[in-house]
Amino acid sequence: MSGFDAIVIGAGNGGLTAAATLAKGGAKTLLLERHNVPGGCATSFCRGRFEFEVALHQLSGMGDASFPGPLRSVLHGLDVLDRVEFVSMKNLYRLTIPGRLDITLPADRNGTVEALTKRFPAEGKRIKEFYDLVYEFFNQLISVIYMRDPEASSGKYPLYFKYAMASSQDLLDEYFNDPLLKASVAAYWGYMGLPPRYLSFSDLAALIFAYIEFKPYHIRNGSQALSNALIEKFTENGGEVRFNCGAQKIELENGAVSAVVTERGERIPTGCVVANISTPVLYNELIGVEESPKEKYEEMSGRTIGPSSFTLYIGMDCTPAELGIEETTNFIGAHDDFNHAFSQLRDIDEPAMILVSCFNVSDPGASPEGTCQIAVVDLQYLEPWLSIPPSRYAEEKYRYAAKVLDLVERVFPGFRSHIEEIEISTPITHVRYLGHPGGAFYGFDQHIKDSRLINPPVQPISGLFHAGAWAAGGGFQPTLASGASTGRAALKHLGMRGR
Amino acid sequence: MSRRNIADQLEGVERIREETRICRKYGIDYTVEKGRTMRLVNLLHPQALRLKVGTVIRETKSAATLRMAPVDGYLPPFQAGQYINLFVEIDGVRTSRPYSISSAPHQTGFYDITVRRVENGFVSDYLLDGVGPGDEFESSGPSGNFHYNPLFHEKHMVCLAGGSGVTPFMSMIREVTDRGLDREITLLYGNRREDDIIFHSEMKDRASRFGNFVYRPVISEPSKTCSELTGFINADLIRSVLNDLGSKTFYICGPSQMYEFCIPELEKLGIPKNKVRREMFGQPQDITAEPGWPREVEASTEFKVSVRGGKTLRARAGESLLAALERAGVVVPSLCRCGECSMCRIKLVSGKVFQPRGVLLRQSDREFGYIHSCAAYPLSDLKIML
Repeated sequence: MSGFDAIVIGAGNGGLTAAATLAKGGAKTLLLERHNVPGGCATSFCRGRFEFEVALHQLSGMGDASFPGPLRSVLHGLDVLDRVEFVSMKNLYRLTIPGRLDITLPADRNGTVEALTKRFPAEGKRIKEFYDLVYEFFNQLISVIYMRDPEASSGKYPLYFKYAMASSQDLLDEYFNDPLLKASVAAYWGYMGLPPRYLSFSDLAALIFAYIEFKPYHIRNGSQALSNALIEKFTENGGEVRFNCGAQKIELENGAVSAVVTERGERIPTGCVVANISTPVLYNELIGVEESPKEKYEEMSGRTIGPSSFTLYIGMDCTPAELGIEETTNFIGAHDDFNHAFSQLRDIDEPAMILVSCFNVSDPGASPEGTCQIAVVDLQYLEPWLSIPPSRYAEEKYRYAAKVLDLVERVFPGFRSHIEEIEISTPITHVRYLGHPGGAFYGFDQHIKDSRLINPPVQPISGLFHAGAWAAGGGFQPTLASGASTGRAALKHLGMRGR
Repeated sequence: MSRRNIADQLEGVERIREETRICRKYGIDYTVEKGRTMRLVNLLHPQALRLKVGTVIRETKSAATLRMAPVDGYLPPFQAGQYINLFVEIDGVRTSRPYSISSAPHQTGFYDITVRRVENGFVSDYLLDGVGPGDEFESSGPSGNFHYNPLFHEKHMVCLAGGSGVTPFMSMIREVTDRGLDREITLLYGNRREDDIIFHSEMKDRASRFGNFVYRPVISEPSKTCSELTGFINADLIRSVLNDLGSKTFYICGPSQMYEFCIPELEKLGIPKNKVRREMFGQPQDITAEPGWPREVEASTEFKVSVRGGKTLRARAGESLLAALERAGVVVPSLCRCGECSMCRIKLVSGKVFQPRGVLLRQSDREFGYIHSCAAYPLSDLKIML
């Protein structure tokens, strides 16, 4: 078997953009995927007359052609923009806490400030000041972190140096009184899997800034369309992909990558591997505990595995309008205490906060005419699901799904009677398909201490690169971007500058 | 300024660094994670099962039940109505067929699958004639979504079965009656002749013992002495059996003609779409009879199929690409073999295939040229990528 310049293990978002970057850069690249379909989380499946989006809710960092966001630039660099259609949303989200709060925030800075001020007039001044802070802080962050201003200092960028290590809760408490206002501003916490008390202000500011400035997007025909387009481009550039073929071992020689052994037992020489799999599986299984650098386990030991989710994929026999659904993105909270809601992710009693995404609102073609496609997401950790005996698993799934639907019904009455198809995934489902510990699609929890600035990842194995949620944090934009930058680093390692 | 220097100057950074030190001090040893989660997940979703035939139960002249116990002593749970995909090797060809589990889910010691002879059936002939106690098979774990779903199905299920399509219903009926569940089942079971009926005596027995199960066989070519309902399962017959059409979910499982016949009949009765569930049911016996099949291509016409980076083989137009690949010894994973689950997805690099109705392809797969090989028939020379 002749070798490859580089082998990419895993065709999730990070693996796909890494592979596409390597092939475009002229590296002879092999992409191994143990499933029959590329994308990892970025996929879809069919039931009846519906095709369900698995993971994408709101794509961040896109922007349009006249004002491209960082993700658009990444995808442009990989030549896939003309093969995929992106659909923008006009609002960020609607947040409902039944009986107490119902607010919709537009994807527009002034519009958001106005909507919040209208609902919380007593705090209008502070609302404007908060969003001013978010913008000024984030612009300073861009200069320091992304533009790498060589003269960065606390004198030049005071807001960044003051708040970079702050939690979102610190700032929410500093600026606001009404807990419902704090909830309205911080509803995106679920996209990071951490509540305001743990979520860094940098991350909350990034979410608010990126979704307002570049608008939330969806992909026509779902995230599978992007995954397919990346594979197409990769193979056009000479890349070779093998589906149904996982990697079993990464072989080392003198502390450097020397080959990959596939699960079919084939040994393929290479000096460069980009792993798009979880960190524990990479070191425990592919490198092997004995061969793995001790400092990597030391680094991992301080980290915790992030949440997975309980998700309902639902095909409805009616239009969104008939259900009273006017937004693509609807957060529903059982209460306003998101810090407590986070604790409830370890419990399968009552859902605390759910996301109801109805893709048809922004993309009428998301399902056949007269129907709509809905995904209801409730973040959940794996542990409570492992405590259910296998014989009770199906019943528990239905029991908990009924509770989630009860919460949906409080905002969209009559919802249940329109269900035509429904599929349930649990954290166990996500472990099964992703192979990640915890079914954690966001990878490790991204606490403030886990910022790459504070703890830059150690990587003592020459020729080994790591892309995706476990290396760079979860979500579509971070994983897609991490694959592209990892691909460039791998090209540099190979002495190729890219085309 | 270097990154390290920037970090040093952040307000509160020492406190955050201390958090890292503490977390690592009391941290997690991830070496013990090795394989742990997957072992637990495998209790629900094993990648493959080893099954051993314990007993063969002759059901009718043309059907038998294979009672299969796990070789390693453990069977994962399933929902009544689900199937396993059974792998077989016949004359050196490895292929597979999906079979609904006909035993009840609370029976955890074995899975029953009930096989009825298919005309010229490569696999059914083998299972009915060539298999006996002690024979071992590999299968997938239980799969499929043709089962009761309390989130949106009515508690009264009306099952419309044809021929061997009764097998998932047998599992459901056993579960509901044995466990005393608060649900009702009405089974309308179509067969050509009385002696084709599978599970007839057990059905009659359960219907006589349990008030929440009604059993009505329907015979299309009745003998002179036939005392059952006769004809086909049409709107009139359904209405005559059910007092009231409301608050019921209808389930259909049978040969493909049955769906074509029964679904319009249910529409005539005004049953809404979300109250009708249908099981997948294999590929048509004669693909050339499907609407849209190009008349100039005969079933026996052979084409050349080249697998990128692999071998080149001959495939007949009348046989699915998956079957042709299996015959040539090319391994393609498969599960439902009905065009729905996408397990056998491959890329059509060039050439033309016929895809029958009912294939559930992702929209973007369609646009980027992917096909489900179990439901794709060659109409020209092909180049494919696995």
